[in-house]
Amino acid sequence: MNRRTLLSLLGMSPALLTTEPALAGQSTAPAPKSGKASLPTGEGKITTINPKGTPPPIQLIPMAPRLDTLDGKTVYLVDTGFHGSDVLLQQIQAWFSRNMPGVTTVFKRKAGPYAEDDPALWKEIKSKGNAAIMAVGH
Amino acid sequence: MGIPSAPLVTKAFKDLAILNAAKRGMPHERICFTPHPVWGKTPEEVRAYVEGPDPVSGKPLMKEVVDALTVPLSDEERKLGMVTISVGPPTFTDTAENLQDFYLNNGYTDFLPIILPTEEKVDRMMKGSSHKPDEVVGKMAAGAYPPWSYNVRQVAASAVMAGCRPEYFPIILAIASSGTASLFSSTNSFAFAMVINGPIRDKLEFNYGIGALGPFAQPNATIGRAWTLLSKNLGNGGIPGDTYLGSLGNNLNYNNVVIAEHEDASPWVPFHVQKGFKREENVVSLFRGLGVVPGQVARGSSANENVQFDYQMSDLFSTFTGFFGALIIADPLVAARLKEQGYDTKEKLIDWLYKNTTQTVKDYKSRNYAYLFDYPRALRGDEPWATWYKLPDDAVIPHFPRASDFNIVVAGGQTNAYPQAGNLSYSASVSIDKWM
Repeated sequence: MNRRTLLSLLGMSPALLTTEPALAGQSTAPAPKSGKASLPTGEGKITTINPKGTPPPIQLIPMAPRLDTLDGKTVYLVDTGFHGSDVLLQQIQAWFSRNMPGVTTVFKRKAGPYAEDDPALWKEIKSKGNAAIMAVGH
Repeated sequence: MGIPSAPLVTKAFKDLAILNAAKRGMPHERICFTPHPVWGKTPEEVRAYVEGPDPVSGKPLMKEVVDALTVPLSDEERKLGMVTISVGPPTFTDTAENLQDFYLNNGYTDFLPIILPTEEKVDRMMKGSSHKPDEVVGKMAAGAYPPWSYNVRQVAASAVMAGCRPEYFPIILAIASSGTASLFSSTNSFAFAMVINGPIRDKLEFNYGIGALGPFAQPNATIGRAWTLLSKNLGNGGIPGDTYLGSLGNNLNYNNVVIAEHEDASPWVPFHVQKGFKREENVVSLFRGLGVVPGQVARGSSANENVQFDYQMSDLFSTFTGFFGALIIADPLVAARLKEQGYDTKEKLIDWLYKNTTQTVKDYKSRNYAYLFDYPRALRGDEPWATWYKLPDDAVIPHFPRASDFNIVVAGGQTNAYPQAGNLSYSASVSIDKWM
């Protein structure tokens, strides 16, 4: 299933996937995916309540500007702690050494279990690094 | 962070990764994918992953990674603003047969037939509480997702669908107000349990006698089922690949483990009194973990006059993960014997179990949850894990980090002295009376 279809299932407007700029406050199409349950009341028909809760609105977060090149830059390799993440990132580190030796890589294990935040590491990466690769989920 | 980043996710979690990034405001996040799983693979096998294709895009994985960090952002990726998510119109109109199909096909049910939540039935359900239809009850998420919110009417719809009577509704509202979903996204296929205490057990005719944990009374059956429907409909849980990742799933998720404590037959104080409530208050307490096992499988469970339930339980717990707690569900016969053996309070039994349920450091370190959750805490210096990880392999340590990880309730019909035990952690106790 591609990203467009996935986001559609989420109830996100297709407009989110276009380049139209005006999204603030936009309401999206109904999420239910199938069925005939939108017909007028008539003989033999009943009306039922939609049992779904209310999703929070989504504040779009801008992605950080990309780098022109990784050459001469420092890339942090962040291990989330999931099984095998360290092995994967070590192989990525080796790949950079073999294929892009101008890239400096720094391996770091995120503090705490995988679901916990590590603001100190994010601060370090922002001050000392140029990019980050985080793995693996899972 | 403000600098370019590239998350790497295994292919099995593609939908989860894309959808959760979108829910958090980055629908176009540049996620790169490796084959699944990475866990258990040799460095040589993982190197082949790194040098091979991204199994989602088909392009070389490391080209995807480098591009994620260096290709300029598109107009889509620079978008700002607020997006609302629609869950459809507030009502649906059609024939009953079509609506049954509609609710099933749209993921509103547990794939069993439901009571259709007509406006009349939902209104009748809401008469079981004094709270107004539009009052906000709480927020719920089935994992690390932005939580959904809901009001009394929305809760009532799922209560109707589960087959609850209006007089059960305050319990449903209390559960909903906790924000605890009984379907959780983890790959571990979690199970959930609730303990009901107070006079409401008799007023609503809960079964806490023979077959206390079985399908033998309407409130036990439907209130448990309602929790799962709440979790799907109000917390957006239970969507395989998106908000549910349990590899095997858990049959207990159909109606959860509903335990009305047999307070009159218990030699100990009721569970809710342990948590600071008065005996006459009505309370629902919630638990989360991996499941429930029977005591008959444990060493020391031979039915003779010398049966020692403390050793039996301790043996049972030795297979549990200490990440979750241990919930003892004691038949009154078991509880009475334990009292005869000197455990005249729950606390005395808990103290013994905490001190005598042990493991070697070597065994502890071999456990999945220790590696995944405790080892990172140990690295950070969190206790007791930091100390445990410094000990020699043959050192003996408690199986559970705290005595408070043990909980005890009494239920059952006294047809035999069998306990059951859940690898379940206590999470919260909620007043039912507040929602009357």
